Amino acid sequence: MLSLLKEVLYAPYSVVKGLIITIIHLFRPKVTLQYPDERWDLPENYRGIPSLPIDPKTGTDKCIACGACARICPEQIITVESETGEDKKRKLTEFKIDASRCMWCGLCVEVCPPGALVMSKEYELATDSREGMVYDREDMHRHGGTFAEESEESEESEESEESEESKESKESDPTDRTDNNLTEGAKAES
Amino acid sequence: MDSGFIITVAKMVGVAAVILTFILIVVMYPMIYGLRRVMAFMQSRIGPNRVGPQGLLQTPADALKLLHKEDIIPRGADRWIFTIAPILVFVPAYLVYVVIPFGKDLVASDLNIGIVYVSAVTSIAIIGIVMAGWASNNKWSLLGAFRAAAQLVSYEVPLVLAFCVPIVLAGTLSLQSIVIEQAGDVRNWFVFRAWGLGALAFGIYLAAGLAEANLTPFDIMEAESELVAGFNVEYSGMKFALFFLAEFAAAFTLSALAVTLFFGGWQAPFSFLAYPVFGIKVPETLTLLGRTVPFAAWTEHAVQFAWFFGKSLAMVFALIWVRATLPRVRVDQLMNLAWKVLIPIGLVNLVLAGFYVALK
Repeated sequence: MLSLLKEVLYAPYSVVKGLIITIIHLFRPKVTLQYPDERWDLPENYRGIPSLPIDPKTGTDKCIACGACARICPEQIITVESETGEDKKRKLTEFKIDASRCMWCGLCVEVCPPGALVMSKEYELATDSREGMVYDREDMHRHGGTFAEESEESEESEESEESEESKESKESDPTDRTDNNLTEGAKAES
Repeated sequence: MDSGFIITVAKMVGVAAVILTFILIVVMYPMIYGLRRVMAFMQSRIGPNRVGPQGLLQTPADALKLLHKEDIIPRGADRWIFTIAPILVFVPAYLVYVVIPFGKDLVASDLNIGIVYVSAVTSIAIIGIVMAGWASNNKWSLLGAFRAAAQLVSYEVPLVLAFCVPIVLAGTLSLQSIVIEQAGDVRNWFVFRAWGLGALAFGIYLAAGLAEANLTPFDIMEAESELVAGFNVEYSGMKFALFFLAEFAAAFTLSALAVTLFFGGWQAPFSFLAYPVFGIKVPETLTLLGRTVPFAAWTEHAVQFAWFFGKSLAMVFALIWVRATLPRVRVDQLMNLAWKVLIPIGLVNLVLAGFYVALK
């Protein structure tokens, strides 16, 4: 009897409590991000399409055409074409990645010896054809932007640290990171 | 047929069109816009804000879109019933406004059986809904129609029981007389009278009315997650718009009736807020465009209408508030609430209200 009375009284209590919560939210700041006008501030380790950022010192990418990325790629979607120059050094002639089959695993970025491949922050990759999903070297320059101007050593150490970090975070729950991203963006928005 | 009859009919159609347009613009528009915006705010969203300033033109844009959509009738549907059903749902929703007093003289027809008329007319919509569900020849819409029939028929009972309390307190069935009975200030409103019996009746009315108007938490007949959209799955274009508008009209009717029966209708909450507001007098007559008009009477009407409409909009806000808060109930919970909770409480409430009137 008493428990029934408790239950009966709980119903209006919970309804009123819910109503109070909604009326509070009426005056709270809105969380909507008006997408094409406003954008998320993407976190440092965001994984967009792999790209080849321009090194400001040389004016081109850092790729040495070793082909490690093409070999490690689980989907075999990276094509590296090179020729041996007069100074007997390999020179990159074409670099292609088929983003339609890319799964953004980041192995190519991890394996890249000079740290030329970087996961970019590009995510608007919609096209109207399969051919449009194949990015060549120039597209990858465009996606990557430029490396920040820093001294060689510090950048390398940073790179190695970063790759280790990404390894660690890969082992941990990946959804955790996306949640962090969202809260970060929301913070930046408000 | 003589020409006088035709002219009379044409005049009536014209007046009806003007009134319907008026209701659509003045009543429906703020309600649809308010629903979308306020509910969005309560859910920490922005809501429509692209078409026009603050999204104000979103509703006209949607209406325009629906107007020039193709009018699809499914191949297996019963064409005639399919076409008549939205009209049968739409018309009763607006017929209620015939007896609702918007002001002292602003009532289309003050029937002496006003409330009986209201409950009779609102029940017609059920037939339209069942027709729509059956004629669509779609299992989801049929299921929605069955649910609607069960829900609306069972909630009619507590709704009428809640109606009865103001009737007993006022001693009349006419809505206008019920409003006049609540004259004075807030204390005379039925919701605050009779030792809280009025408030209890209002609570029952609100719960049953939410179910009658298919508003969340009682919108199981169009439960999107179970029935796609309920009885109106197969409807598109203007026919869908009729269902949509009928639903909003029903929600506004719910608010307007609540204001009329429990919150003093067009009466101001305090006598100094009624016409003349704060004792500010306006000239008795005014000459406008060469014609003498009774300006004071007009102002009085405007003040009464403003009170009625303001209260109704506050009520609509409460409905939206509830809608944005509560989750949908299950079918069995819905039926339990009607038959095991609302009807017994309503009956006891009515008996107590009778004692209150007898002992007074």
